[in-house]
Amino acid sequence: MNLGYLKSKGFILSLLIILITVILSFVINSPYLTLSFLISDIFIIMAVGWDFSSGTTNYINFGISFFFGIGALFTGFFYYSFHLTIPLLITQAFLISSFSGFLITIVTLKVRGVFFTLLSLLLPLIGTDFILAFWTVLKMPTIGYYGLPSLSNSLQISLIYISIFLIVIITLIYALYSGHIGLILKGIGDDEEAMNAQGINTFWYKVLIFSISMGIVGIAGSLYAFSTSFAGIDTFGLEFLLFPMIIAIFGGKGKILGSIPAGYIIIILSQYLQLYVGQLTLISFAAFAIILFLFFPKGISRWFS
Amino acid sequence: MSFLKVIGVSKYWGGNKALENITFSMDSNILAIFGPNGAGKTTLLNIIAGIINPTKGEIYYNERNITKLKPWERVRLGISKTFQIVRPFRTLTVEENILLFSKIRENVNPEEVMKITGLFDFRYKYPDQLPFGYLKRLEIAKVLSANPEILLLDEPFGGLNSEEIKELLDVFIKLKTNGKKLIIIEHKISSLLDIAENVIFLDRGKKIFEGSIKKFLEFENIKEYYFGGIGNA
Repeated sequence: MNLGYLKSKGFILSLLIILITVILSFVINSPYLTLSFLISDIFIIMAVGWDFSSGTTNYINFGISFFFGIGALFTGFFYYSFHLTIPLLITQAFLISSFSGFLITIVTLKVRGVFFTLLSLLLPLIGTDFILAFWTVLKMPTIGYYGLPSLSNSLQISLIYISIFLIVIITLIYALYSGHIGLILKGIGDDEEAMNAQGINTFWYKVLIFSISMGIVGIAGSLYAFSTSFAGIDTFGLEFLLFPMIIAIFGGKGKILGSIPAGYIIIILSQYLQLYVGQLTLISFAAFAIILFLFFPKGISRWFS
Repeated sequence: MSFLKVIGVSKYWGGNKALENITFSMDSNILAIFGPNGAGKTTLLNIIAGIINPTKGEIYYNERNITKLKPWERVRLGISKTFQIVRPFRTLTVEENILLFSKIRENVNPEEVMKITGLFDFRYKYPDQLPFGYLKRLEIAKVLSANPEILLLDEPFGGLNSEEIKELLDVFIKLKTNGKKLIIIEHKISSLLDIAENVIFLDRGKKIFEGSIKKFLEFENIKEYYFGGIGNA
Protein backbone atom coordinates (compact mmCIF):
# COMPACT_ATOMS: atom_id res chain seq x y z
CA MET A 1 0.00 0.00 0.00
CA ASN A 2 1.23 3.49 -0.88
CA LEU A 3 1.65 5.40 2.38
CA GLY A 4 2.77 8.62 0.72
CA TYR A 5 -0.52 10.27 1.70
CA LEU A 6 0.60 10.21 5.35
CA LYS A 7 3.15 12.89 4.44
CA SER A 8 0.72 15.06 2.50
CA LYS A 9 0.23 18.62 3.78
CA GLY A 10 -3.53 18.22 4.01
CA PHE A 11 -3.26 15.09 6.14
CA ILE A 12 -0.65 16.56 8.51
CA LEU A 13 -2.67 19.76 8.83
CA SER A 14 -5.77 17.69 9.66
CA LEU A 15 -3.95 15.93 12.48
CA LEU A 16 -2.64 19.27 13.70
CA ILE A 17 -6.12 20.80 13.83
CA ILE A 18 -7.47 17.83 15.80
CA LEU A 19 -4.51 18.07 18.19
CA ILE A 20 -5.09 21.81 18.67
CA THR A 21 -8.72 21.20 19.69
CA VAL A 22 -7.57 18.73 22.34
CA ILE A 23 -4.92 21.14 23.65
CA LEU A 24 -7.41 24.04 23.66
CA SER A 25 -9.89 22.01 25.69
CA PHE A 26 -7.25 21.62 28.41
CA VAL A 27 -5.92 25.20 28.19
CA ILE A 28 -9.28 26.99 28.16
CA ASN A 29 -10.89 24.36 30.40
CA SER A 30 -14.46 25.24 29.38
CA PRO A 31 -16.84 22.25 29.49
CA TYR A 32 -19.01 23.90 26.83
CA LEU A 33 -16.07 24.33 24.46
CA THR A 34 -14.87 20.76 25.13
CA LEU A 35 -18.37 19.41 24.47
CA SER A 36 -18.52 21.49 21.29
CA PHE A 37 -15.23 19.95 20.09
CA LEU A 38 -16.49 16.51 20.99
CA ILE A 39 -19.77 16.97 19.10
CA SER A 40 -17.78 18.47 16.20
CA ASP A 41 -15.60 15.34 16.04
CA ILE A 42 -18.70 13.12 15.86
CA PHE A 43 -20.23 15.22 13.08
CA ILE A 44 -16.89 15.25 11.24
CA ILE A 45 -16.82 11.42 11.36
CA MET A 46 -20.30 11.43 9.82
CA ALA A 47 -19.33 14.05 7.24
CA VAL A 48 -16.19 12.14 6.24
CA GLY A 49 -18.23 8.93 5.98
CA TRP A 50 -20.81 10.66 3.78
CA ASP A 51 -18.22 12.45 1.67
CA PHE A 52 -16.25 9.24 1.07
CA SER A 53 -19.20 7.71 -0.78
CA SER A 54 -21.59 10.47 -1.87
CA GLY A 55 -19.11 13.33 -2.24
CA THR A 56 -16.76 11.38 -4.48
CA THR A 57 -19.27 9.47 -6.59
CA ASN A 58 -21.97 12.17 -6.86
CA TYR A 59 -24.60 9.70 -5.65
CA ILE A 60 -26.17 12.06 -3.14
CA ASN A 61 -27.39 10.00 -0.20
CA PHE A 62 -30.09 11.57 1.99
CA GLY A 63 -30.36 8.59 4.30
CA ILE A 64 -27.43 8.95 6.67
CA SER A 65 -29.45 9.94 9.73
CA PHE A 66 -30.99 6.45 9.56
CA PHE A 67 -27.59 4.78 9.85
CA PHE A 68 -26.56 7.22 12.58
CA GLY A 69 -29.77 6.35 14.45
CA ILE A 70 -29.18 2.62 14.00
CA GLY A 71 -25.64 2.98 15.37
CA ALA A 72 -26.94 4.82 18.44
CA LEU A 73 -30.09 2.74 19.04
CA PHE A 74 -28.38 -0.63 18.77
CA THR A 75 -25.64 0.63 21.09
CA GLY A 76 -28.37 1.22 23.68
CA PHE A 77 -30.05 -2.10 22.93
CA PHE A 78 -26.88 -4.20 23.16
CA TYR A 79 -25.69 -2.36 26.25
CA TYR A 80 -28.90 -3.02 28.20
CA SER A 81 -29.67 -6.45 26.78
CA PHE A 82 -26.24 -8.05 26.67
CA HIS A 83 -24.01 -5.72 28.73
CA LEU A 84 -21.41 -5.56 25.97
CA THR A 85 -18.23 -3.58 26.53
CA ILE A 86 -17.71 -0.22 24.81
CA PRO A 87 -15.33 -1.55 22.10
CA LEU A 88 -17.81 -4.33 21.27
CA LEU A 89 -20.68 -1.84 21.22
CA ILE A 90 -18.81 0.36 18.74
CA THR A 91 -17.95 -2.71 16.63
CA GLN A 92 -21.59 -3.84 16.49
CA ALA A 93 -22.64 -0.31 15.49
CA PHE A 94 -20.25 -0.48 12.53
CA LEU A 95 -21.36 -3.98 11.51
CA ILE A 96 -25.11 -3.39 11.81
CA SER A 97 -24.98 -0.01 10.04
CA SER A 98 -22.77 -1.47 7.30
CA PHE A 99 -25.12 -4.39 6.81
CA SER A 100 -28.14 -2.05 6.71
CA GLY A 101 -26.21 0.10 4.24
CA PHE A 102 -25.52 -2.97 2.13
CA LEU A 103 -29.20 -4.02 2.10
CA ILE A 104 -30.40 -0.54 1.17
CA THR A 105 -27.73 0.25 -1.41
CA ILE A 106 -28.10 -2.98 -3.39
CA VAL A 107 -31.59 -1.62 -4.15
CA THR A 108 -30.93 2.12 -4.40
CA LEU A 109 -27.72 1.88 -6.43
CA LYS A 110 -29.61 0.23 -9.28
CA VAL A 111 -30.75 3.75 -10.18
CA ARG A 112 -28.90 7.03 -10.60
CA GLY A 113 -29.25 10.76 -10.08
CA VAL A 114 -32.43 12.11 -8.57
CA PHE A 115 -33.96 8.60 -8.40
CA PHE A 116 -31.11 7.40 -6.21
CA THR A 117 -31.42 10.46 -3.97
CA LEU A 118 -35.17 9.94 -3.56
CA LEU A 119 -34.78 6.23 -2.81
CA SER A 120 -31.93 6.94 -0.39
CA LEU A 121 -34.37 9.12 1.55
CA LEU A 122 -37.47 6.92 1.24
CA LEU A 123 -36.03 3.52 2.13
CA PRO A 124 -34.45 4.74 5.39
CA LEU A 125 -37.76 6.44 6.29
CA ILE A 126 -39.49 3.09 5.83
CA GLY A 127 -36.62 1.46 7.75
CA THR A 128 -37.10 3.88 10.67
CA ASP A 129 -40.82 3.08 10.84
CA PHE A 130 -40.03 -0.62 10.65
CA ILE A 131 -37.55 -0.37 13.54
CA LEU A 132 -40.05 1.60 15.62
CA ALA A 133 -42.74 -0.99 14.97
CA PHE A 134 -40.31 -3.79 15.76
CA TRP A 135 -39.25 -2.09 19.00
CA THR A 136 -42.93 -1.62 19.98
CA VAL A 137 -43.83 -5.27 19.29
CA LEU A 138 -40.87 -6.47 21.36
CA LYS A 139 -41.88 -4.00 24.11
CA MET A 140 -38.52 -2.24 23.98
CA PRO A 141 -38.17 1.48 24.81
CA THR A 142 -39.02 3.38 21.63
CA ILE A 143 -38.25 6.78 23.17
CA GLY A 144 -34.75 5.65 23.89
CA TYR A 145 -32.16 4.27 26.25
CA TYR A 146 -30.97 6.59 29.01
CA GLY A 147 -27.94 6.30 31.25
CA LEU A 148 -25.52 4.82 28.75
CA PRO A 149 -21.91 4.77 29.93
CA SER A 150 -19.57 7.60 28.97
CA LEU A 151 -16.24 6.90 27.34
CA SER A 152 -14.69 8.52 30.43
CA ASN A 153 -15.84 10.43 33.52
CA SER A 154 -13.78 13.38 32.29
CA LEU A 155 -15.15 15.24 29.27
CA GLN A 156 -11.60 16.09 28.19
CA ILE A 157 -10.51 12.43 28.29
CA SER A 158 -13.65 11.53 26.29
CA LEU A 159 -12.56 14.15 23.75
CA ILE A 160 -9.15 12.46 23.52
CA TYR A 161 -10.78 9.07 22.86
CA ILE A 162 -13.10 10.48 20.20
CA SER A 163 -10.22 12.41 18.62
CA ILE A 164 -8.28 9.14 18.38
CA PHE A 165 -11.32 7.54 16.70
CA LEU A 166 -11.51 10.44 14.27
CA ILE A 167 -7.80 10.15 13.44
CA VAL A 168 -8.03 6.38 12.90
CA ILE A 169 -11.11 6.76 10.69
CA ILE A 170 -9.67 9.55 8.52
CA THR A 171 -6.40 7.61 8.21
CA LEU A 172 -8.23 4.50 7.00
CA ILE A 173 -10.53 6.44 4.68
CA TYR A 174 -7.68 8.49 3.31
CA ALA A 175 -5.68 5.29 2.76
CA LEU A 176 -8.55 3.89 0.71
CA TYR A 177 -9.07 7.21 -1.04
CA SER A 178 -5.39 7.44 -1.98
CA GLY A 179 -5.30 3.92 -3.42
CA HIS A 180 -6.96 2.13 -6.31
CA ILE A 181 -10.42 2.40 -4.70
CA GLY A 182 -9.99 6.18 -4.66
CA LEU A 183 -9.29 6.20 -8.40
CA ILE A 184 -12.42 4.16 -9.00
CA LEU A 185 -14.51 6.49 -6.82
CA LYS A 186 -13.26 9.55 -8.68
CA GLY A 187 -13.80 7.78 -11.99
CA ILE A 188 -17.42 7.02 -11.02
CA GLY A 189 -17.88 10.67 -10.09
CA ASP A 190 -16.41 11.81 -13.42
CA ASP A 191 -18.06 9.44 -15.90
CA GLU A 192 -19.53 6.18 -14.66
CA GLU A 193 -20.77 5.12 -18.09
CA ALA A 194 -17.23 5.33 -19.46
CA MET A 195 -15.96 3.29 -16.51
CA ASN A 196 -18.38 0.46 -17.29
CA ALA A 197 -17.76 0.68 -21.04
CA GLN A 198 -14.01 0.51 -20.52
CA GLY A 199 -13.94 -2.48 -18.21
CA ILE A 200 -14.91 -1.69 -14.62
CA ASN A 201 -18.15 -3.06 -13.20
CA THR A 202 -18.87 -0.17 -10.87
CA PHE A 203 -21.93 -1.60 -9.08
CA TRP A 204 -20.20 -3.74 -6.46
CA TYR A 205 -17.55 -1.10 -5.83
CA LYS A 206 -20.34 1.36 -5.05
CA VAL A 207 -22.10 -1.13 -2.78
CA LEU A 208 -18.81 -1.77 -0.94
CA ILE A 209 -18.02 1.92 -0.52
CA PHE A 210 -21.52 2.86 0.61
CA SER A 211 -21.58 -0.04 3.09
CA ILE A 212 -18.25 1.10 4.60
CA SER A 213 -19.46 4.71 4.66
CA MET A 214 -22.68 3.86 6.44
CA GLY A 215 -20.72 1.71 8.89
CA ILE A 216 -18.63 4.77 9.72
CA VAL A 217 -21.77 6.83 10.21
CA GLY A 218 -22.99 4.06 12.55
CA ILE A 219 -19.78 4.41 14.60
CA ALA A 220 -20.53 8.13 14.89
CA GLY A 221 -24.01 7.20 16.18
CA SER A 222 -22.53 4.91 18.79
CA LEU A 223 -20.01 7.55 19.91
CA TYR A 224 -22.84 10.07 20.14
CA ALA A 225 -24.77 7.68 22.40
CA PHE A 226 -21.78 7.43 24.75
CA SER A 227 -21.22 11.20 24.67
CA THR A 228 -24.82 12.12 25.52
CA SER A 229 -25.58 8.93 27.54
CA PHE A 230 -28.71 8.61 25.40
CA ALA A 231 -29.76 6.65 22.33
CA GLY A 232 -33.25 6.80 20.94
CA ILE A 233 -35.57 7.82 18.17
CA ASP A 234 -34.29 11.42 18.30
CA THR A 235 -30.99 10.21 16.84
CA PHE A 236 -32.80 9.53 13.54
CA GLY A 237 -33.57 13.30 13.32
CA LEU A 238 -33.07 15.73 10.47
CA GLU A 239 -30.12 17.55 12.06
CA PHE A 240 -28.07 14.35 11.73
CA LEU A 241 -28.66 14.52 8.01
CA LEU A 242 -28.21 18.25 7.39
CA PHE A 243 -25.14 19.05 9.47
CA PRO A 244 -22.85 16.33 8.05
CA MET A 245 -23.87 17.24 4.49
CA ILE A 246 -23.29 20.96 5.09
CA ILE A 247 -19.91 20.17 6.66
CA ALA A 248 -18.85 17.94 3.76
CA ILE A 249 -19.99 20.46 1.13
CA PHE A 250 -18.42 23.42 2.93
CA GLY A 251 -15.23 21.35 3.30
CA GLY A 252 -15.23 20.71 -0.45
CA LYS A 253 -17.34 17.84 -1.81
CA GLY A 254 -15.24 14.77 -2.44
CA LYS A 255 -12.16 16.21 -0.74
CA ILE A 256 -12.49 14.16 2.50
CA LEU A 257 -10.06 16.18 4.65
CA GLY A 258 -11.83 19.51 4.07
CA SER A 259 -14.57 18.26 6.42
CA ILE A 260 -12.21 18.61 9.39
CA PRO A 261 -11.82 22.42 9.53
CA ALA A 262 -15.35 22.83 8.13
CA GLY A 263 -16.77 20.63 10.90
CA TYR A 264 -15.18 22.64 13.71
CA ILE A 265 -16.25 25.96 12.17
CA ILE A 266 -19.86 24.90 11.57
CA ILE A 267 -20.58 22.95 14.75
CA ILE A 268 -18.88 25.38 17.12
CA LEU A 269 -20.64 28.26 15.41
CA SER A 270 -24.04 26.54 15.70
CA GLN A 271 -23.36 25.58 19.34
CA TYR A 272 -22.53 29.18 20.25
CA LEU A 273 -25.43 30.53 18.19
CA GLN A 274 -27.68 28.30 20.24
CA LEU A 275 -26.14 29.72 23.39
CA TYR A 276 -26.58 33.37 22.44
CA VAL A 277 -29.54 33.60 20.07
CA GLY A 278 -31.61 30.70 21.38
CA GLN A 279 -34.70 30.20 19.22
CA LEU A 280 -33.19 32.12 16.33
CA THR A 281 -30.40 29.54 15.99
CA LEU A 282 -31.87 27.86 12.94
CA ILE A 283 -32.53 31.11 11.08
CA SER A 284 -29.10 32.50 11.97
CA PHE A 285 -27.43 29.28 10.97
CA ALA A 286 -29.33 29.09 7.67
CA ALA A 287 -28.25 32.68 6.88
CA PHE A 288 -24.67 31.81 7.74
CA ALA A 289 -24.80 28.65 5.58
CA ILE A 290 -26.12 30.67 2.62
CA ILE A 291 -23.29 33.19 2.99
CA LEU A 292 -20.74 30.36 3.19
CA PHE A 293 -21.99 28.71 0.02
CA LEU A 294 -22.18 32.03 -1.82
CA PHE A 295 -18.61 32.99 -0.98
CA PHE A 296 -17.10 29.48 -0.96
CA PRO A 297 -19.05 27.56 -3.64
CA LYS A 298 -16.28 24.98 -3.96
CA GLY A 299 -15.69 24.74 -0.23
CA ILE A 300 -12.60 25.58 1.72
CA SER A 301 -10.50 22.59 0.72
CA ARG A 302 -8.48 24.47 -1.92
CA TRP A 303 -6.87 26.47 0.90
CA PHE A 304 -6.50 23.38 2.92
CA SER A 305 -4.97 20.72 0.67
CA MET B 1 -8.90 -18.64 -37.94
CA SER B 2 -11.30 -15.75 -37.37
CA PHE B 3 -11.21 -14.59 -33.77
CA LEU B 4 -14.10 -12.16 -34.17
CA LYS B 5 -17.28 -12.99 -36.06
CA VAL B 6 -20.22 -10.69 -36.57
CA ILE B 7 -23.20 -12.66 -37.88
CA GLY B 8 -26.35 -11.07 -39.29
CA VAL B 9 -26.28 -8.03 -37.04
CA SER B 10 -29.07 -5.51 -37.47
CA LYS B 11 -30.00 -2.51 -35.38
CA TYR B 12 -33.29 -0.65 -35.68
CA TRP B 13 -34.06 2.59 -33.90
CA GLY B 14 -37.84 2.59 -34.17
CA GLY B 15 -38.48 2.40 -37.91
CA ASN B 16 -34.98 3.60 -38.78
CA LYS B 17 -32.55 0.87 -39.87
CA ALA B 18 -29.13 1.87 -38.51
CA LEU B 19 -27.57 -1.48 -39.49
CA GLU B 20 -28.97 -4.21 -41.66
CA ASN B 21 -27.78 -7.79 -41.68
CA ILE B 22 -24.06 -7.12 -41.27
CA THR B 23 -21.86 -10.21 -41.39
CA PHE B 24 -18.07 -10.35 -41.38
CA SER B 25 -15.12 -12.15 -39.82
CA MET B 26 -11.93 -10.54 -38.66
CA ASP B 27 -8.76 -12.44 -39.38
CA SER B 28 -6.34 -9.60 -40.09
CA ASN B 29 -4.40 -7.40 -37.71
CA ILE B 30 -5.89 -4.10 -38.79
CA LEU B 31 -9.42 -3.85 -40.13
CA ALA B 32 -10.64 -0.47 -41.31
CA ILE B 33 -14.35 0.26 -41.43
CA PHE B 34 -15.10 3.17 -43.73
CA GLY B 35 -18.26 4.90 -44.67
CA PRO B 36 -19.85 8.32 -44.93
CA ASN B 37 -21.64 9.98 -42.01
CA GLY B 38 -24.67 7.99 -40.91
CA ALA B 39 -23.34 4.75 -42.40
CA GLY B 40 -23.66 2.93 -39.07
CA LYS B 41 -19.95 2.65 -38.28
CA THR B 42 -20.15 3.78 -34.65
CA THR B 43 -23.32 1.73 -34.10
CA LEU B 44 -21.50 -1.38 -35.32
CA LEU B 45 -18.52 -0.71 -33.05
CA ASN B 46 -20.80 -0.06 -30.08
CA ILE B 47 -22.55 -3.37 -30.73
CA ILE B 48 -19.22 -5.23 -30.82
CA ALA B 49 -18.20 -3.49 -27.57
CA GLY B 50 -21.57 -4.29 -25.94
CA ILE B 51 -22.50 -0.66 -25.37
CA ILE B 52 -25.70 -1.17 -27.36
CA ASN B 53 -27.52 -4.41 -28.06
CA PRO B 54 -28.28 -5.53 -31.61
CA THR B 55 -31.91 -5.94 -32.66
CA LYS B 56 -30.87 -9.14 -34.46
CA GLY B 57 -27.68 -11.09 -34.96
CA GLU B 58 -24.83 -12.48 -32.90
CA ILE B 59 -21.22 -11.70 -32.07
CA TYR B 60 -18.64 -14.43 -31.50
CA TYR B 61 -15.22 -13.90 -29.99
CA ASN B 62 -12.81 -16.84 -30.05
CA GLU B 63 -15.80 -19.11 -30.82
CA ARG B 64 -17.69 -17.83 -27.75
CA ASN B 65 -21.05 -16.11 -28.19
CA ILE B 66 -20.62 -12.73 -26.49
CA THR B 67 -23.83 -11.09 -27.75
CA LYS B 68 -25.40 -10.89 -24.28
CA LEU B 69 -22.27 -9.90 -22.38
CA LYS B 70 -22.01 -6.47 -20.78
CA PRO B 71 -19.28 -4.05 -21.95
CA TRP B 72 -17.07 -4.62 -18.89
CA GLU B 73 -17.34 -8.40 -19.36
CA ARG B 74 -16.14 -8.02 -22.97
CA VAL B 75 -13.19 -5.90 -21.79
CA ARG B 76 -12.22 -8.74 -19.49
CA LEU B 77 -12.26 -11.07 -22.49
CA GLY B 78 -9.99 -8.67 -24.38
CA ILE B 79 -12.23 -6.32 -26.39
CA SER B 80 -11.92 -2.61 -25.56
CA LYS B 81 -13.29 0.46 -27.29
CA THR B 82 -12.33 4.12 -27.38
CA PHE B 83 -14.92 6.87 -27.60
CA GLN B 84 -15.29 9.05 -30.67
CA ILE B 85 -15.60 12.12 -28.44
CA VAL B 86 -12.84 11.75 -25.86
CA ARG B 87 -14.00 10.97 -22.34
CA PRO B 88 -11.02 11.29 -20.03
CA PHE B 89 -11.54 11.22 -16.26
CA ARG B 90 -10.93 14.88 -15.59
CA THR B 91 -10.23 14.68 -11.87
CA LEU B 92 -7.45 12.14 -12.47
CA THR B 93 -3.98 12.75 -13.85
CA VAL B 94 -2.86 11.09 -17.08
CA GLU B 95 -1.07 8.41 -15.07
CA GLU B 96 -4.12 7.80 -12.87
CA ASN B 97 -6.39 7.56 -15.92
CA ILE B 98 -4.16 4.71 -17.08
CA LEU B 99 -3.70 3.10 -13.66
CA LEU B 100 -7.48 2.91 -13.27
CA PHE B 101 -7.79 0.12 -15.84
CA SER B 102 -4.40 -1.52 -15.39
CA LYS B 103 -5.61 -4.34 -13.13
CA ILE B 104 -8.57 -5.48 -15.20
CA ARG B 105 -7.03 -8.43 -17.05
CA GLU B 106 -3.49 -8.70 -15.82
CA ASN B 107 -1.15 -6.16 -14.32
CA VAL B 108 -0.06 -3.83 -17.07
CA ASN B 109 2.93 -1.54 -16.63
CA PRO B 110 1.45 1.97 -16.93
CA GLU B 111 4.86 3.41 -17.82
CA GLU B 112 5.04 1.15 -20.85
CA VAL B 113 1.57 2.26 -21.96
CA MET B 114 2.54 5.91 -21.53
CA LYS B 115 5.73 5.37 -23.50
CA ILE B 116 3.95 3.63 -26.39
CA THR B 117 1.36 6.39 -26.60
CA GLY B 118 3.86 9.22 -26.08
CA LEU B 119 2.23 10.41 -22.85
CA PHE B 120 5.09 9.75 -20.46
CA ASP B 121 6.16 13.39 -20.24
CA PHE B 122 2.58 14.40 -19.42
CA ARG B 123 2.02 11.77 -16.72
CA TYR B 124 1.31 14.25 -13.91
CA LYS B 125 -0.87 16.56 -16.01
CA TYR B 126 -4.65 16.61 -15.82
CA PRO B 127 -6.65 16.07 -19.03
CA ASP B 128 -7.71 19.71 -19.12
CA GLN B 129 -4.02 20.65 -19.39
CA LEU B 130 -3.42 18.49 -22.49
CA PRO B 131 -3.61 19.56 -26.17
CA PHE B 132 -6.46 17.86 -28.07
CA GLY B 133 -4.16 15.47 -29.94
CA TYR B 134 -2.87 14.13 -26.64
CA LEU B 135 -6.40 13.64 -25.35
CA LYS B 136 -6.90 11.28 -28.31
CA ARG B 137 -3.74 9.45 -27.24
CA LEU B 138 -5.02 9.30 -23.66
CA GLU B 139 -8.24 7.72 -24.91
CA ILE B 140 -6.15 4.99 -26.58
CA ALA B 141 -3.87 4.67 -23.54
CA LYS B 142 -6.87 4.09 -21.23
CA VAL B 143 -8.02 1.24 -23.43
CA LEU B 144 -4.50 -0.18 -23.79
CA SER B 145 -4.04 -0.26 -20.03
CA ALA B 146 -6.66 -3.03 -19.87
CA ASN B 147 -4.32 -5.08 -22.09
CA PRO B 148 -6.92 -5.84 -24.78
CA GLU B 149 -6.45 -8.26 -27.65
CA ILE B 150 -8.70 -6.20 -29.91
CA LEU B 151 -8.90 -2.41 -29.81
CA LEU B 152 -12.00 -0.82 -31.28
CA LEU B 153 -11.02 2.70 -32.28
CA ASP B 154 -13.86 5.08 -33.06
CA GLU B 155 -12.69 7.83 -35.45
CA PRO B 156 -9.31 8.28 -33.75
CA PHE B 157 -8.21 10.97 -36.20
CA GLY B 158 -11.24 13.23 -35.74
CA GLY B 159 -10.11 16.81 -35.07
CA LEU B 160 -6.40 16.06 -35.55
CA ASN B 161 -4.07 17.84 -37.99
CA SER B 162 -1.92 15.92 -40.48
CA GLU B 163 1.13 15.91 -38.18
CA GLU B 164 -0.90 14.54 -35.26
CA ILE B 165 -2.46 11.89 -37.54
CA LYS B 166 1.01 10.78 -38.60
CA GLU B 167 2.11 10.47 -34.97
CA LEU B 168 -0.99 8.48 -34.09
CA LEU B 169 -0.42 6.17 -37.07
CA ASP B 170 3.04 5.44 -35.65
CA VAL B 171 1.34 4.46 -32.39
CA PHE B 172 -0.96 2.07 -34.28
CA ILE B 173 2.01 0.48 -36.05
CA LYS B 174 3.68 -0.06 -32.65
CA LEU B 175 0.51 -1.67 -31.34
CA LYS B 176 0.34 -3.98 -34.35
CA THR B 177 3.98 -4.92 -33.78
CA ASN B 178 3.07 -5.75 -30.17
CA GLY B 179 0.44 -8.20 -31.41
CA LYS B 180 -2.69 -6.11 -30.91
CA LYS B 181 -5.58 -6.34 -33.38
CA LEU B 182 -7.21 -3.08 -34.36
CA ILE B 183 -10.63 -2.28 -35.77
CA ILE B 184 -10.56 1.35 -36.79
CA ILE B 185 -13.58 3.21 -38.02
CA GLU B 186 -12.80 6.35 -39.88
CA HIS B 187 -14.43 8.88 -42.12
CA LYS B 188 -11.14 9.90 -43.73
CA ILE B 189 -10.17 6.96 -45.94
CA SER B 190 -6.76 8.35 -46.97
CA SER B 191 -5.45 8.33 -43.40
CA LEU B 192 -5.63 4.54 -43.07
CA LEU B 193 -4.61 3.35 -46.51
CA ASP B 194 -1.02 2.69 -45.47
CA ILE B 195 -1.74 0.52 -42.44
CA ALA B 196 -5.12 -1.19 -42.95
CA GLU B 197 -4.98 -4.79 -44.17
CA ASN B 198 -8.67 -5.39 -44.73
CA VAL B 199 -11.53 -2.99 -45.31
CA ILE B 200 -15.27 -3.00 -44.80
CA PHE B 201 -17.27 -0.23 -46.38
CA LEU B 202 -20.69 0.66 -45.02
CA ASP B 203 -23.35 2.93 -46.38
CA ARG B 204 -26.76 3.62 -44.81
CA GLY B 205 -26.43 0.59 -42.57
CA LYS B 206 -25.51 -1.88 -45.33
CA LYS B 207 -22.20 -3.55 -46.09
CA ILE B 208 -21.17 -2.41 -49.56
CA PHE B 209 -17.65 -3.85 -49.69
CA GLU B 210 -15.45 -6.29 -47.79
CA GLY B 211 -11.95 -7.29 -48.82
CA SER B 212 -8.28 -6.44 -48.86
CA ILE B 213 -7.04 -2.89 -49.08
CA LYS B 214 -5.71 -3.63 -52.58
CA LYS B 215 -9.14 -4.71 -53.81
CA PHE B 216 -10.71 -1.76 -52.06
CA LEU B 217 -8.53 0.67 -53.97
CA GLU B 218 -9.72 -0.96 -57.18
CA PHE B 219 -13.36 -0.72 -56.09
CA GLU B 220 -14.68 1.89 -58.46
CA ASN B 221 -18.09 2.37 -56.79
CA ILE B 222 -16.40 3.86 -53.77
CA LYS B 223 -16.05 7.18 -55.53
CA GLU B 224 -19.81 7.40 -55.75
CA TYR B 225 -20.07 7.42 -51.99
CA TYR B 226 -17.53 10.14 -51.44
CA PHE B 227 -17.67 13.34 -53.39
CA GLY B 228 -14.28 13.91 -54.94
CA GLY B 229 -13.11 10.30 -54.73
CA ILE B 230 -10.72 8.46 -52.41
CA GLY B 231 -7.88 10.90 -52.62
CA ASN B 232 -9.93 13.73 -51.17
CA ALA B 233 -11.94 11.67 -48.74
